[in-house]
Amino acid sequence: MNPWIAVGALGVVSVVIPLSMMLVSSLLRPSVPEDSKRTTYESGEVPTGGTRIRFNIQYYMVALLFVVFDIETVLIFPWTVIYRSALEDGVGLVTVLAPMLIFIGVLVVGLAWAWHNGAVQWSRDPQASETQ
Amino acid sequence: MSSHASLFALGPALYLAATGLLVLVLDSVGRTTRLPFALGSAVFGVAAVGAAAVAAFTGGTLLGLGVGAHAFAAMNAFLVAFLVYLVDPSGSNRLLVASVAVAGAVFSLGNAAYYLAYFGTTSDAQAALLFGDQLVVDQMSLLFMAIAASVTALVALASYDYLEGHAYQAEYYALVLLAATGMSLMAAANSLATVFVAMELASLPSFALVAFLKKNRGSVEAGLKYFLIGALSSSFFAYGISLVYATTGSLQLEAVASALSGGTEFVGMLGIGMLMLVGGFAYKTASVPFHFWAPEAYEGAPAPISAFISSASKAAGFVIAFRVFTVAFTPAGLFASLGIDWVLVFQILAVVTMTLGNFAAATQENVKRMLAYSSIGHAGYVLIGLASLGGVASQGDTVLGASMMHLFVYGFMNTGAFLFIALVEYWGVGRTFEDYAGLGRKAPVACAAMTVFLFSLAGLPVGAGFLSKYVLFFGAVSAGFWWLAAVGAINSALSLYYYTRVVKAMWVEEPNGELELQGRPTGLYAAVVAAAVVTVLLLPGFFPIAETAIEAANAVLPNAGDTTTAFFG
Repeated sequence: MNPWIAVGALGVVSVVIPLSMMLVSSLLRPSVPEDSKRTTYESGEVPTGGTRIRFNIQYYMVALLFVVFDIETVLIFPWTVIYRSALEDGVGLVTVLAPMLIFIGVLVVGLAWAWHNGAVQWSRDPQASETQ
Repeated sequence: MSSHASLFALGPALYLAATGLLVLVLDSVGRTTRLPFALGSAVFGVAAVGAAAVAAFTGGTLLGLGVGAHAFAAMNAFLVAFLVYLVDPSGSNRLLVASVAVAGAVFSLGNAAYYLAYFGTTSDAQAALLFGDQLVVDQMSLLFMAIAASVTALVALASYDYLEGHAYQAEYYALVLLAATGMSLMAAANSLATVFVAMELASLPSFALVAFLKKNRGSVEAGLKYFLIGALSSSFFAYGISLVYATTGSLQLEAVASALSGGTEFVGMLGIGMLMLVGGFAYKTASVPFHFWAPEAYEGAPAPISAFISSASKAAGFVIAFRVFTVAFTPAGLFASLGIDWVLVFQILAVVTMTLGNFAAATQENVKRMLAYSSIGHAGYVLIGLASLGGVASQGDTVLGASMMHLFVYGFMNTGAFLFIALVEYWGVGRTFEDYAGLGRKAPVACAAMTVFLFSLAGLPVGAGFLSKYVLFFGAVSAGFWWLAAVGAINSALSLYYYTRVVKAMWVEEPNGELELQGRPTGLYAAVVAAAVVTVLLLPGFFPIAETAIEAANAVLPNAGDTTTAFFG
């Protein structure tokens, strides 16, 4: 049997299941039209303002810093796993440690610069931090 | 330097990277952090001196490092301490960061020149392979590292005056230096993965630099266009890499070549992948079909950045094209027999690029835009180097070497021409040919330098552009492609027309109104004059460059004979 049949069957099933669920539920459910069902949030919360809100730039700054340090952790994890066994196998301390120190040093330079430019400091001025 | 992998082989790139970080550190020093930071660095320096002394007296190593390494660390720590001490926390520190940037680029250039001299004088010198053959430092890498470093030095020097009154100057220099690091690494990249990463490292800071004048609509628009086309061609390039990897199972260039040495059954996939790689190179070198960002980006960007991108970035794009196609997709005849005739592709691209660039340049009214199109035309000339590889194999090194020579000379003459535009922008003179009327009487030195650049770009024997173009066309003829040389010569003749228009406006025509030049920008003048002096001096001093370039081409080409002596007698 051609192994691609299984892939095709998976595709068919993944289309059929959601379609059949929508179909069955539309056949079963009672239809009770009501005004409050048309609101954006059925919780009853009335949305205010337009949809095109500008978020404060500081959200993005923090998000960017987060991405940098997130990637840093991803690189540090495998390094910590091999660190001890590399030392036990006789690799020099500097050879194991220095590249990671340099890498973190580069990131620290970037963090120091961002800190100096106020990217880490949340604006205290309520006027400036309004999401307009 | 030997084939033994040592990080010091990457010195030219490391100097640029370290200087970029140092500039950011100096900019981040505040009122409260200055003294502790300076003292801390000094204490670290003293500790390193102590470590060096201990290592020296015990006659061995400490922490796995020798005396020299500890002394080097101490020297750097003292240097950082001194520079941090010089920082004025409330000022802009323009002079300090600009000097540090220029010094770093000059050190990088010196290091590249030192290694090149080593290669030139040591007969059995071998290329240094690093990180499992992912990076290679050979003569070609070093030559292009020297180009990147010298352009960076000129641009950093000129930017000191150009950026007067702008915010974020330290960031500007840091971005220039980090982009230059990427270009140096492109020169050393020996695997499609490192090629891609180095290319992105060079591109990302360039996008920000093009849009550096963020209150200027033209600059921001140029930055956005550059970014969008860059993202598009990067994705093409990454897809091309994946297709080549799928065909060969390898990213390292020599391994790709050996996987393809017996042919392949996936000719279509390989062909599409290689075509996509060509697209990526065309973007980076501003060649057809991905050339259309160049006039926009060069015109909108601050003029020193136009100089930087049109000279250093273009050279870096060419070095990876040279390396990928001569090392991985070699010999060209094998690929032609598979039906993937990449030499033919480059022949078409070379002819179209130089013709389009020169004809478009001839119709421009704006001098900066004219230079942008002429830069596309020069990309076409350089492409002759790859387009002539399918002919007489023993002549391949002459013509490929001539492309490198041309890029080296171009790094000075084109950078100088754009820096002259920066000078004119600094004075607030307009941008069209008419606005340049009568400049020669007001600023004779700068205009004389500009005349040298333009005539050298056109190929007249006032600068080394004459020799590099001559060797290039001569090489194409002797490799059996006389028609490529003929198209190049016709285009050169056309280019003389529009270059002469600028010269005529500067020296012959009368100024339209009152022409008042404000200020004497020392840094800009120094950079323009230095570029002109080098352009002229390379005319008598062309032989070492030519010899280095031909040896560099020889090292990457498999069947080339040594024609250095044959050509230069």
